[in-house]
Amino acid sequence: MNRNPQVGRPLRRKEDPRLLRGQGQYVHDLRLPGMLHLAFVRSPHAHARVRRVDAAQARRAAGVEAVFAGSDLPTLPIEPQFAGEGYHSAGWPALAHEWVRFVGEPVAVVVARDRYVAEDAADLVEVDYDPLPVVASVEAALRAGASLVHDQVPGNVFFRRDHTQGDVAQAFSRAHAVVRAVFRHQRLAGAPMEGRGTTAAWDPRGGAHGRLTVWASTQTPHSLQTGLARFLSLPESAVRVVVPDTGGGFGPKMHLYPEDVVTAAVARALGRPAQWVEDRRENLGTMTQAREQVIDAALAVAANGRILALRADVTCDSGAYSVFPLTAVLEPMGTVQIMPGPYRVPGYAYTTRAVVTNKCPVGAYRGVGMTVGVFVMERLMDKAAAAIGLDPAEMRRRNFIGAGEFPYAAASGLVYDSGRFGETLATALDAFDYPGARREQVRRRAEGRLIGIGVCAFVEYTGMGSKTFARRGMLEARGYDSAAITVDRTGGVRVSVSCPSQGQGHETVFAQLAAGELGLDPAAVLVVQPDTDAVPMGSGTFASRAIVAGGGALMHAAAALKTKAVAVAAHLLEASVDDVVVADGRLFIRGTPERGLTWGEVARAAHTPGPVGLPVGMDPGLDAASTYDPPPAVFGNGAHVAMVEVDRDTGVVSVLRYVIAEDCGPMLNPMIVEGQTHGGLAQGLGEALHEEVIYDEAGQLLTATFMDYLLPTAKEMPPVRIVHLETPSPHTARGFKGMGESATIGSPACVANAVSDALGRAADTLPMTPGRILQWMHDERPAAEVKA
Amino acid sequence: MSKATAPVSERTAAFTVNGKQVQVTVPVRKTLADALREDLGLTGTHLGCEHGVCGACTILMDGQAVRSCLLLAVQADGHDLKTVEGMADGDRLHPIQEAFWEAHGLQCGFCTPGFLMTISEFLAENPKPTEDEIREAIAGNLCRCTGYVNIIKAVQIAAEKLSASHPDT
Amino acid sequence: MKPAPFDYAAPESVEETLALLAEYGADAKLLAGGQSLMPLLNMRLARPAVIIDLNRVAALDYVKATDGEVRIGALVRQRAAERSPVVAQHLPLVSDALQWVGHPQIRNRGTIGGSLAHADPSAELPAVAAILGASFVVAGSDGERTLASEDFFQGYLSTAIGATEVLTEVRFPAMAADQGWAFVEVARRHGDFALVGVAAVVHAADGPRPAGSEAHAGRARGPLRLRDVRLAFTGVGPTPVRIAEAEAALEGRALDDRVLTDVARLVSDRLEPESDIQASAAYRKHVAGVLARRALTAAALRVRGRS
Repeated sequence: MNRNPQVGRPLRRKEDPRLLRGQGQYVHDLRLPGMLHLAFVRSPHAHARVRRVDAAQARRAAGVEAVFAGSDLPTLPIEPQFAGEGYHSAGWPALAHEWVRFVGEPVAVVVARDRYVAEDAADLVEVDYDPLPVVASVEAALRAGASLVHDQVPGNVFFRRDHTQGDVAQAFSRAHAVVRAVFRHQRLAGAPMEGRGTTAAWDPRGGAHGRLTVWASTQTPHSLQTGLARFLSLPESAVRVVVPDTGGGFGPKMHLYPEDVVTAAVARALGRPAQWVEDRRENLGTMTQAREQVIDAALAVAANGRILALRADVTCDSGAYSVFPLTAVLEPMGTVQIMPGPYRVPGYAYTTRAVVTNKCPVGAYRGVGMTVGVFVMERLMDKAAAAIGLDPAEMRRRNFIGAGEFPYAAASGLVYDSGRFGETLATALDAFDYPGARREQVRRRAEGRLIGIGVCAFVEYTGMGSKTFARRGMLEARGYDSAAITVDRTGGVRVSVSCPSQGQGHETVFAQLAAGELGLDPAAVLVVQPDTDAVPMGSGTFASRAIVAGGGALMHAAAALKTKAVAVAAHLLEASVDDVVVADGRLFIRGTPERGLTWGEVARAAHTPGPVGLPVGMDPGLDAASTYDPPPAVFGNGAHVAMVEVDRDTGVVSVLRYVIAEDCGPMLNPMIVEGQTHGGLAQGLGEALHEEVIYDEAGQLLTATFMDYLLPTAKEMPPVRIVHLETPSPHTARGFKGMGESATIGSPACVANAVSDALGRAADTLPMTPGRILQWMHDERPAAEVKA
Repeated sequence: MSKATAPVSERTAAFTVNGKQVQVTVPVRKTLADALREDLGLTGTHLGCEHGVCGACTILMDGQAVRSCLLLAVQADGHDLKTVEGMADGDRLHPIQEAFWEAHGLQCGFCTPGFLMTISEFLAENPKPTEDEIREAIAGNLCRCTGYVNIIKAVQIAAEKLSASHPDT
Repeated sequence: MKPAPFDYAAPESVEETLALLAEYGADAKLLAGGQSLMPLLNMRLARPAVIIDLNRVAALDYVKATDGEVRIGALVRQRAAERSPVVAQHLPLVSDALQWVGHPQIRNRGTIGGSLAHADPSAELPAVAAILGASFVVAGSDGERTLASEDFFQGYLSTAIGATEVLTEVRFPAMAADQGWAFVEVARRHGDFALVGVAAVVHAADGPRPAGSEAHAGRARGPLRLRDVRLAFTGVGPTPVRIAEAEAALEGRALDDRVLTDVARLVSDRLEPESDIQASAAYRKHVAGVLARRALTAAALRVRGRS
């Protein structure tokens, strides 16, 4: 494969000027003639029977077009398909009409001339509820005789899986040291700055069934298309999804929500465009939340620090519904599959489960279960290191899978493709001046300051293809993605990829990639957000897949386009295809560049049948579309080092400095890779120290505003240094790997290890709030349950 | 009580936005953020929380950075407003916008107009800020994408650009 | 999140304001900076029938130093007070504490009067007003009355301002030139409301030290003894809290480690804060003691000599 001259260029972004001018077009900025605005009536109860909805007064209010409740709208409940053992399914109605199962669940919708009037009318809708017992925690949900959230989900367990590899029991009994702890990871909110939003328009004359067009702040347009079609009982071809500018996604915007189904159904019912844009309270309470897991885990090690076995019992609080498309299986499997990490783990046993509770459903959020699995494993590694008397970095070194051992079949069942884990860690430690930092720590501790240094190392799966989703049983995730390129007769090149951007710079990076393949300047390539009418089916942007899957499809499409363009050029230039060079925006004869054509000339020829245009037997047009199914997974890896100080009197943690060594393979645009790393780190620090979704025992949300749910500000970010390694994947074109989640995956573990080091106490619960830290300091219990 | 001060449910406000005189007649409860977006078509100002924490709705009122979600449209009467749409000079981006572009100071762009407004006021008052002063000044604007690192860099670059064009400042 | 419907009036004088309050007071809310009220309106947690916008009452925007007092009109923006040379000179504790109030955008609109009238139990200004012995001028149709801090702050988010009254002015006794002061707080993030905050003001018991007195090494003057020590806490009760016992215990004492430890313990023991999702009562009690130490130490360092 030729070198792509655009790979590695830190090109500044093409989308920036219009975004900087305030000319981005987010879903809320869309105005359609006759458009109506939606406000939802939402359940104030975490669990209740819905007896009666009285919307009469609301319907009479001035400016109100309609109020829908119960089964007024002909929709089917959202229910993702899953093929695999241990899963119990239940549907999520678009509008709850018999039961409500979490606070905020939509019960009715008001459609009015503006949001102000819609909210006024929503206040007038009277709903009679019979409150039912609430299970607002895993403990409550699993108690004998607990109230069932879904009749068809026995024991409130959506999913359970058990796995054993190797003789784990024996390994534990023989071990020189065993460390064990119960780890608790809080519930998080994704909190993109732009909340969810959907605009829908219905054209009754669009085909035999009419046509629905939806503009949505979504990461997964084709998934949304499929879901809407299914739950609105429409053929897929009757549904078109267009993605506008999107203000952050991070995972939660990959799901299909009842509000999406309702908005589309309303547009169809009324024959007028309908817009729903959530406010921040809705966002914090009803956009899918994340994590909330308890893990009882233990690591058995030999006297020389080598891992003998790992054992984990994982319980995920999945909330009230199983999300579309990936289901409630996402979190429990994500955690256990990554937990063995970059280490040789001969024996591994886990039990993992997804428990139903009367809270907001849990779904994807940057890092997913990987963040939790890394947190657990890296804390266990530190505990084991302490039990044996090894430096934490040395503990990692002794257990890393070697650079020559790939492909490596991990005890989890995953097959790692590539990596130089030892080198990644060494790079991080070197950039941090780890020995110097340890000396500094000694000095500052002598002054009475609580200084800690934390290390973490991890792998992450990225760019997963259909085999992985199929193996997991996630039938709704296709695993492939697509790209389409057209060259018009004026030479304009237009690209669309089925992976939209929510800020990752696809307008730039896909332009770079395509331009590089086609000998063009990136400025000459226009990348537009996907429209399901214009780009073939794909999976979307999530799980760090866009460059692998979308980029992979784009490279295939570019190759096909180039082949055709070269054939047309060769025909026109009366040369052999082997003599045509594609570079500098032209197609020309090798050695005589003045004998060449512009892309416009080639395109015009391609649209002209006959001897001066197309070669015989070739179809007209200069465009290509391709679908690409990535390998099961390609693995990035990273290592972080952090220094923290804990104020011994207030428990406040300051992160003094932070180093990230990351290996995501070849970087297409290093500036964007660094931006993703910064952003991922900020989210990881929020996860480690500040953010927590809190419900009370009645299932009432206590963190419903930004005054309660604390996102990091510029003051909370430490100085950070990023160093890069590039270990290409042997399985992808150009060796690309994904990396968007990387910094979030490693940072909670790294900060927890640093805090634990500072305190000489276990830091096994997140977030590490000042109050929790003071409690740990006053606690006499040792840092880990250790048998040594 | 005089008619002039009797409570009303709708009112006309006249003010300037980005140098242009405008007038809007709105229900008094309509926020300034919504009026800018809907009545004046200036959708560059974004709603991120509507309770005064995230700063995405920040505009300049008489040169001061304020949260437009916490102002009623009718309160703008007689004032001089600036929104993100007023920063660039035709084809030429404002130096602060240029700095953001160079530094990769934005990703999804949703919080960006609010930052630009906050920084406009900040650099006018503090043309040679330290990094700590920059962090302090932007701590009232939330970003979920960038981790702030490149935003801080953008402010530093912008400060240099602005002082280069105003050497006496 | 849009406000419920209301009617709106924008008076231009205190008289007009009082007339509106007389007619609509029970169903009206006064709008000053809006940084506290507008979120409540947007979230429909407050649904007044009438909003009376004070922002055009120019007569309430002034800072005057007079007769050993600094009089601040209720509509003075926090940002203006933060930068006011009069406030900096005569009320340095106020200037300092204002930096902890939210963020610059909030202080651009938020007012001194509005923050005090809102009386959030975790806000900085109420504690500062309490510790400096500020008095509050409240106007009603019957005329004006002046209230001391203890009488003004009545409970959680409530003050003595009646339904048909408006706070017009806050009067601070000017701080003495030889007074030391400090404000310290712990918050979850910079700019958040305090989990616990402490304001401290102190005087030197032996009179001010002349500048350069430290140069007379060998002269056994001993550590600085304090008098008239005041501490006010925010975030630990419905209104600002002072602990008379702690203040008395410091009278005439020098701040050595034992004294500070005793005061911290006394403070911790006496306070009865609430728990909430940001911090537990136990945490607040403990940290109040810690911050009392820090505030006293910082205040003692600031005791200035006469130049």
